[in-house]
Amino acid sequence: MKPGPNQNCFSAPGDLAYLQLLHLADSALPIGALAHSFGLESLVSAEILTAGELPDFLHGYLQEAGILEAVACREAFQIVEAQRPDFSGTRWIEINDCLSALKPARESRAASAVLGRNFLQAALLLGDFTVLREAREASLQATSLIHHAAAFGLVSAAFAFDETRAVLAYLHQMTASLVSACQRLLPIGQTETTRILWNLKPAIVEASILSASCTLDEVSCFMPLLDWGAMEHPALATRLFIS
Amino acid sequence: MTATAREGLREIERGIPGVSRVRALLRLDFSRDSNTGNTFLAGSLQEPPLKVVRAFTLQDGTALAHLHNVSGGLLGGDCLALQVNLGCRTSVQLTTTGATRIYRRRGEFSPTTQGNQVAVGEDALLEYLPDASIPFAGAHFVQRTSIALAAGAGLFWWEILAPGREARGELFEYEHFAMRTCVTALGRKIAAENICLRPASQEVSSLARLGPYLYSATFYICCVGLDASYWRTAEDRVRDLTGSLSRPGEILWGVSSLVAHGLVVRCLARHGRDVLPGLHTIWRAAKLHVYGREAIPPRKVN
Repeated sequence: MKPGPNQNCFSAPGDLAYLQLLHLADSALPIGALAHSFGLESLVSAEILTAGELPDFLHGYLQEAGILEAVACREAFQIVEAQRPDFSGTRWIEINDCLSALKPARESRAASAVLGRNFLQAALLLGDFTVLREAREASLQATSLIHHAAAFGLVSAAFAFDETRAVLAYLHQMTASLVSACQRLLPIGQTETTRILWNLKPAIVEASILSASCTLDEVSCFMPLLDWGAMEHPALATRLFIS
Repeated sequence: MTATAREGLREIERGIPGVSRVRALLRLDFSRDSNTGNTFLAGSLQEPPLKVVRAFTLQDGTALAHLHNVSGGLLGGDCLALQVNLGCRTSVQLTTTGATRIYRRRGEFSPTTQGNQVAVGEDALLEYLPDASIPFAGAHFVQRTSIALAAGAGLFWWEILAPGREARGELFEYEHFAMRTCVTALGRKIAAENICLRPASQEVSSLARLGPYLYSATFYICCVGLDASYWRTAEDRVRDLTGSLSRPGEILWGVSSLVAHGLVVRCLARHGRDVLPGLHTIWRAAKLHVYGREAIPPRKVN
């Protein structure tokens, strides 16, 4: 039987949080995500990455960078819980500095930092969150970068989202942004990109699960070919992406 | 400091099952002779199989030391630590006498572990120029390296990872290879690399990892205190070089500025023979650019 107008149509606060999370994790959120390929453009330009190899590549990407970013997202999320009500910027700075050190390619590091800064700024416009203001201030004072994964975790905690859902949402938008970049770089149609992203969802879930069992000091990430692509991106004669 | 190195090693061992066979520490302390300006090996602690016979003085006053492992390689159950301390204004070159062979682990022994702890003092320079690490079939290796740079400290540090004994067709047959490296400058992380490869359960040749390449190398070039614009210029200069060294399908070289105080160079290669000469070429150019001095290739014992 269909419920009446007052039954379950507008329900728990969780529904609102779900919609807010969807909004913040939308790859179309205007923070600049579509301007970066994180080294993919070089791999395509060098004819190393082709349309046929994209699903396997993205699967491997999630096993390496995906888990790393998910761990950073979780750790940033957890500092809000651990330090409530008095947020200290020390751990926040450590997480971001660690990510900066683990990202060898300048352009990819800068891209992550631009997205993180813009994301945090966008979130600050959506409500009065002391922890977000203090985090931004701490980063400015320490001249530390704000990475997207860390900012997403921190903002998600400030909005009281569920931690695992926040990590899944972050990984999904990250993957969607890469697929979108590849759609512009490679001869792949919309139907195919939809299928690729759909089929990657189990790998996204797996990366999220694995990220819960290690710390930023322990997590490994070995992507030398993509590092090379990101490092050599400034040398490309014609570029579609900033990085 | 000895205790610190051992504690570092214990940290690596924690959680690693199996029996340790050999536990050894090699500690090297370098100082500067105020009369000559030369660097000398002021003190050492050498536990077999780790050995440094002597430090040679190069023409620019640098101390060159060869790191020996008299057992011929790293064995399952080996638990080794290297601690290197460079005093203020010293200049040290460390190299190996050949490739580091990491042998297979036998059932009852714990994985091979190596802990490296390096402190480069104010205005000192460390050049760490080893041959490749070759994990044999069945090898299980865990390495942790921490490098701390003081004000004005410099670093040229590379590591080369081979796929195995390529000449006998043994490619990625090792069990586990983990290498964690962290470089800090003035107490802040500037570079980190956490590699963990398990070829039986991961596709090492995925384009997300090595792709069609077999060898990988990482080369850090640092000098604490030089600003970001300096390193951007240096990056552009080295990129001209890496571009000329790259041959797509055979060998790729890339370079980038670190978050501060340095550059990192990445290499992927189909053949090991191409890697060391390329690293030497980049090292020579970078040393000239950063220090205004010629690099002096290390003499090899063999």
